[in-house]
Amino acid sequence: MDKKGAEKILAVYWFTILILVAGGIFAMVYTFYHYPYDVREMEANIMINNLADCLSKNGKIESYVIFQDGTFNEPFKIDFLNQCHFNFDNGERYERDQYYLQADFYKFEDLENPLASISGGNQNWIADCKLEKDEENYEKTAQCLERRFYSLGQNGNQYLIKILAIVGKTKENVK
Amino acid sequence: MLNKKAQIGETTTWLVATLIIIVVLIFFIYASSILAEKNNVLSIPKKVIGYAKGSPQLGDWIDVKTSLAYILSENKYKDAIDSWIMEKEK
Repeated sequence: MDKKGAEKILAVYWFTILILVAGGIFAMVYTFYHYPYDVREMEANIMINNLADCLSKNGKIESYVIFQDGTFNEPFKIDFLNQCHFNFDNGERYERDQYYLQADFYKFEDLENPLASISGGNQNWIADCKLEKDEENYEKTAQCLERRFYSLGQNGNQYLIKILAIVGKTKENVK
Repeated sequence: MLNKKAQIGETTTWLVATLIIIVVLIFFIYASSILAEKNNVLSIPKKVIGYAKGSPQLGDWIDVKTSLAYILSENKYKDAIDSWIMEKEK
């Protein structure tokens, strides 16, 4: 009787341990995969690459951006999002735009004041870029990425181009 | 009396074993939550592309554009331009 009773108790104990370990593994997997992946930096990088490709190819700025005489194509400035195949439409998911894109063109002689700028998307995100990485709630703000490159105009003029891309979308990327 | 002592000893062993299992599980759950917080898809890795023999190694998509422009023009301000480009990207 004693031996049988002990065996029964031991069986219950093993069953409890089994549930405990299984529950623990489930908790580990759930904790790890429940946390969202933050892909905004990559998204901003893709946006920058796409815009850079639209503005400049083979080291030269496209003729539809800056004309031969060095003047900027004004219609392109207004409609660059469409012409460079960007679609910032959020559908009904968000109330406001989740993206912002800006490109500034500088001459080497004056790197403070841009010669021309093009921008599109939601300008309100720019304020988020002023936060430093170590500040509180930094991760819950929009992700900003800035890249710079050098290119030549069609007439041989030199331009320095700064592109800023901002991606909001904190709901999907940050817990 | 001896039987009782043996029973106590055995129970203690099982209790300690259970505690160890629980502690190990809690530790792993905590570790997975820490690792989960660091989930971050890193930026596209900078691929090193050599465009001509003996040329300096190039970086990513944007860097290639700059390097192509350098090839097209003999630029005496190359260092200044490079430092301006690197200014923000550090």
